Amino acid sequence: MISDADLIDRFRGHMLSRDNAAHFRGRLDHQLLIDRCAECGVWHHPPAPACPACWSMSITPTAVSGTGTIHLVIFLHQHAPIPGFDDAMPYPVVTVELDEQPGLRFTGTMVGAANDDVVIGRRVRLDWIDRDGEPVPAFRLAEVAA
Amino acid sequence: MISTHNPIKNTVAFAGAATTGLFPKNTERSQTSYAVEACISVLRQCGLGPDDVDGVCGSFPMAQRMQETLGLTSVTWFANPHIPFINQVAAATAAVSAGLCQVALVYHGAYRLPWNTSAALRDPFRAADASIPTGPPNPDTVAGAIGYTAWASRYLHEYGVTKEDFGLIAINDRSNAATNPTAAMREPITMDDYLSARMVRWPLCLLDMDIAVDGADAFVITTAERARDLALPPVLINAVTLGMTARNSEDQIDGLRHHGQQVVIEALRAKSDFWIDGADIFFPYDGFTPIALNWIENVGYCGPGEAGDFMRQHWDPATNSVRVNGRVPFNPHGGSLSEGATQGSGHVREAVHQLQGLAGDRQVAGARTALLTPGGFFFNAQGLTLVSA
Repeated sequence: MISDADLIDRFRGHMLSRDNAAHFRGRLDHQLLIDRCAECGVWHHPPAPACPACWSMSITPTAVSGTGTIHLVIFLHQHAPIPGFDDAMPYPVVTVELDEQPGLRFTGTMVGAANDDVVIGRRVRLDWIDRDGEPVPAFRLAEVAA
Repeated sequence: MISTHNPIKNTVAFAGAATTGLFPKNTERSQTSYAVEACISVLRQCGLGPDDVDGVCGSFPMAQRMQETLGLTSVTWFANPHIPFINQVAAATAAVSAGLCQVALVYHGAYRLPWNTSAALRDPFRAADASIPTGPPNPDTVAGAIGYTAWASRYLHEYGVTKEDFGLIAINDRSNAATNPTAAMREPITMDDYLSARMVRWPLCLLDMDIAVDGADAFVITTAERARDLALPPVLINAVTLGMTARNSEDQIDGLRHHGQQVVIEALRAKSDFWIDGADIFFPYDGFTPIALNWIENVGYCGPGEAGDFMRQHWDPATNSVRVNGRVPFNPHGGSLSEGATQGSGHVREAVHQLQGLAGDRQVAGARTALLTPGGFFFNAQGLTLVSA
């Protein structure tokens, strides 16, 4: 397993902590790990050391299916330069409501879709992109055009 | 469980308010110098000296720096809460009410910093002061201020309205700023100007976002009894509250119908002696236009998604701004969008001046009550009701 110091170095653009390290280790294996309570089964995000539903501190970062529905969408028309960042603007950022639980959401970009098709309510599935050596979770439209 | 208990009601007061004016450019002055200027100004207006202040509460600079700079003899309470500015007001009000201090100097220095305007980096002092990033910025996020853009898209989707509704907030603010000599942006704008403004993060453009400024506001908060002995008319704090829900991360809140604002409204309404029918002025926070639309709806002027229609119904063509029932203005100083991004201190300062009768050309005739709802959705929604003494 990659050391804590190396993990922090791999994700220098993110604020890593003891509470979210497992989530970022999962990204290295292309697994989207979301915190789940080992006692009551309720999911929560962002990572936190206790379950907001039952106050258990037995939390298991658990892989989600990666399917869900677009809940929020924005398009960046400008952004600071980033190594390995495809700067084709407007750049979509979506918040996806994951199928595992109502209100459980994860935010990332979209790949393989025209911006006109990136709208609230569309079904998506998880995919992964590589940005300057960093695995980045992203979403694709789930439906195939008929 | 939201308490309706409000023992501070009308027992604590603003004794004065002062501003340096707000400037939308990199001025050759420090953030501290603006905050100090505003503090000196308000203390002089109130007739207070270095022996009279025993509480210090601000955003930046730190309280100890402010005390030393002003040579305040001895203080028994001090704090530096995070912005928005009702955090400072609430802390100082509680401290005065509890007797931790009697005369609190309360301030906020607004300053153009690299995190909110990259143009700030052209000033070598500001660039040197910026914290060194540990890695490249992450584009795949709606954390921070971007969260308002994300929920703006949801607002358009859920309510089936267009960006013109956002634009009404920007136009109202700009029209009002024309009568405020200390405002940063005073040139009137039209809906065409709004719709053709540079897109920053769809669906929000440059005119949906508040304007970074250099400047500061300062206040004296003390007991109502002490304020009556000072130079200016006191403005009483009727109620003050903060609000937050269990899920408050930008992408995790329940939705537009349940976030910090609804908590603020329930508490503030229960604790206050008046509500929108009795408010002479309303200050819906406007760091981003959809925040203000939500506040207009949540205080009860209209239903969810109806703020745009409400503003059109109460639009005054003569001033090109909102006058509810021909009378009540929204953000008469121009708000964060046009007066400048004060994180709420400008709204509070304008409310105090209006209720003191010191608002100059934009004085609302006979204003005795003000309803303020600073802050946004997530972990910074706030409310304040003020009444003339």
